Amino acid sequence: MFYLSLIEHTLRLPPHLLHLPLDEALKTELKTLFIDKVIANLGLCISVYDIRSIKGGFVFPGDGASTYTVEFRLIVFRPFIGEIIVAKVKESDANGLRLSLGFFDDIYVPVDQLPIPSRFEVLPNMRNRGRWIWDYGGEQSDEQDFLIEETNPIKFQVQNVIYPSIPLEQPENTKPFAPMVITGTVNNDGLGPVSWWEEAEIIEDKS
Amino acid sequence: MKIKEANAGALTNFEVLDFLRSRGASKDPTRVIVSIAPSEFKVYDYLMESPACNQTKEQVSEFLTRCESYKLAKAEVLNIINLRPSQLVEIVPIIEESEKRFGEKLEELVNLVVEVLPEPPKKAVPEEEKEVEEDTADGKNTDEDKTETTNPEQIDEDQTEENEDGEQMETP
Repeated sequence: MFYLSLIEHTLRLPPHLLHLPLDEALKTELKTLFIDKVIANLGLCISVYDIRSIKGGFVFPGDGASTYTVEFRLIVFRPFIGEIIVAKVKESDANGLRLSLGFFDDIYVPVDQLPIPSRFEVLPNMRNRGRWIWDYGGEQSDEQDFLIEETNPIKFQVQNVIYPSIPLEQPENTKPFAPMVITGTVNNDGLGPVSWWEEAEIIEDKS
Repeated sequence: MKIKEANAGALTNFEVLDFLRSRGASKDPTRVIVSIAPSEFKVYDYLMESPACNQTKEQVSEFLTRCESYKLAKAEVLNIINLRPSQLVEIVPIIEESEKRFGEKLEELVNLVVEVLPEPPKKAVPEEEKEVEEDTADGKNTDEDKTETTNPEQIDEDQTEENEDGEQMETP
């Protein structure tokens, strides 16, 4: 889920940070620049791990601040394909599920990646939202109703991670731009809400 | 900005949690004082709810040495440490072609996981969860090697959970 990445960056150190020791000042500046931002093909930056080297310290003419070239390591969140992650259900609508990790919300499980067969039951009073129910087996009816509800943690497997490019213009009512989108699947043994698999013995025999 | 090495090493959830703890993250509400960004706290909260919250360095390295005989891919080992599967059905999606490569030995692998890595705390009300966490950590620590208190790395870091464990182990 998390990787270390070695990055080199040239940055300007604003003068109000000059009272701090150099590496702390640079760390503060790097944090403002990188944390909680997505770098394309690298992932979501979580934290600055350490600083490897600092070079430079030149002051360019006309500028009040010095410029440094810093080499440092970042902890990035970049799940690999096939990784299994536990997340919480954020939204559930007719197109599928949207899952959230707390620090990252753009995880989608489209309809075709839910266990087959599933049916969608619309909640009363809500137009688009509802919950998904897995129709498992023909014999049991109400006892083995497998629901995907918003409170349970759910395990999914990463299918794909894409970094859509920044759009030039966005129409008003669409969702805010997501720089990193993870597509997942729940259609496999052991995936889906964790509570489904707690009575695993029964299910294993049937499958 | 230049990316020198996009992949300078994979980290388990436990290692990231350890790093955040060493910077001062913790569960209590006085979070404004430490130099950790709110988004880092979200990662910390997520990791505290995963099985990584109870793990220690020794357990992770012990698991790594003991699972070498199974010839697992790096990604599979990472998944196992992060998820701590306790049943056969949980480990099946992690390992590719599990039938061909393992067959019977898969059960042994599950038993190894259950033996070496601690159980994650059961989901409960947040206040109770912290107590349950410390109880299970104590239970497991008395079974494992008692080198935890003498490990210099652990003592240097300000980890209140480790210190409490140390105190309790000396009294009986």
